[in-house]
Amino acid sequence: MTFADLVYWCGLVYGGLGLGVAAAFLVFGLDRVDRSARGSFAFRPLLVPGLVLLWPVVIANWRRLLLRGT
Amino acid sequence: MSAGYKAVSWTRSKILYDVVLIAGIVAYITIFFRFGALPGPDGLSPDAPTLAMKAFGSCGFLLLTIVLAIGPLARLDRRFLPLLYNRRHFGVITCAIAASHASAALGWYFAFSDLPPLKALFAADTSFGQVSGFPFVILGVAAFLILLVMAATSHDFWLTFLGAPTWKSIHMAVYGAYALVVGHLALGALQDARSWVLPAVCAVSVVTLILLHLAAALSQNATDACIATASSPPWVVAGKLSAFAEGRAIVVHLADAEPVAIFRHDNMLSAVTNVCAHQNGPLGEGCVIDGLITCPWHGFQYRLADGCAPPPFTERIATYRLALDGDTVLLDPQPNPPGTYVEPIRVGSPVA
Ligand code: HEM
Ligand code: FES
Repeated sequence: MTFADLVYWCGLVYGGLGLGVAAAFLVFGLDRVDRSARGSFAFRPLLVPGLVLLWPVVIANWRRLLLRGT
Repeated sequence: MSAGYKAVSWTRSKILYDVVLIAGIVAYITIFFRFGALPGPDGLSPDAPTLAMKAFGSCGFLLLTIVLAIGPLARLDRRFLPLLYNRRHFGVITCAIAASHASAALGWYFAFSDLPPLKALFAADTSFGQVSGFPFVILGVAAFLILLVMAATSHDFWLTFLGAPTWKSIHMAVYGAYALVVGHLALGALQDARSWVLPAVCAVSVVTLILLHLAAALSQNATDACIATASSPPWVVAGKLSAFAEGRAIVVHLADAEPVAIFRHDNMLSAVTNVCAHQNGPLGEGCVIDGLITCPWHGFQYRLADGCAPPPFTERIATYRLALDGDTVLLDPQPNPPGTYVEPIRVGSPVA
């Protein structure tokens, strides 16, 4: 496996996991962690790129906000 | 203002801003294609993908330069303030232009490789050791990733979700992105530049940005009333009353705390945090409209006396206590909880 292959596959796996986290967060997470999002749907697709790019941060914050009980 | 994430209301000035921005970009690319296709000194015309790569690359660089210049310009001269609005759109569009550049570059640079371009990118020279062999493309990719994360987190949701300090540091990374792009140019296109245009544009941009930031920093120090000096505790001296102009604010910078904006409106003084509840905009650079402090960035409004947004909006910002000692304005640097009413201090007869 070359360096290029490694970067390529890491990118692919990271992005794939990110898509999963993004879908889960939009369906199950958003309404519980952010009250202003309730009832607004049009803006949700706008969040997808960020959720895919930052999914580890998303999971960490999601957990933190749930534990705090907001 | 938001009472929930409703679509941001499109005002006439926002539409105008976007129209001007996009028209400018279209004009730039068109002109670039018209004149860039002329034969160079070597008698050769660049092919279309090379031209696209250069057009979008230089356009992205210029947009990035402009967006970084807006901040200090607005600080130096309030007439530039309207340019601060909608910097979000500016950033997202810059990211899209950079993406067009990257995809043109990938198509062209690696056209002769049988690997898919994205892979070829990392298979190409990976001699990180020496400066001239350092893959300048990696610097471009890093810069692009920063722009991408910034564009992707520009929605207000991210500000609440990540918290203001994290969000702000993500967006300060635009300076890092700029440095990476300069490196991308210095190690790439500038190494074998056959014309003086790109080196000149690059040098002028970098020098202009540095000078603008220096000038803005100096002028902020010059308005010296801004730096709080100690008085008898808990009070600090905010400045001489004569320094406070009607309808405007003076921003007081405290050690280890958020700056405070002290407004004079209708000859009464009120102090609130300088940090807007929306996206940390500098409230003290805004003005009072209809008796409400109006943020210069996106126009959120707050009442002077209690820092509450007028109904139906729900934002609240911290207020501060003020006192007058002769003609010296004193400030208690301890913030009140957001939305706390503080009686404004009358310093003259009501303005008719
Ligand atoms: C994935 C990201 C990127 C890739 C793969 C990439 C690739 C390239 C390549 C292959 C060149 C040609 C260099 C040469 O002529 O020797 C180039 C030039 C350039 N790039 Fe990038 N780049 C990327 C990101 C960026 C970004 C984010 C900017 C600025 C916003 C930028 C601005 C430029 C400029 C101004 C040039 C010089 C164009 C000219 O020769 O006139 N690039 N880039
Ligand atoms: S209105 Fe957006 S930062 Fe103040």
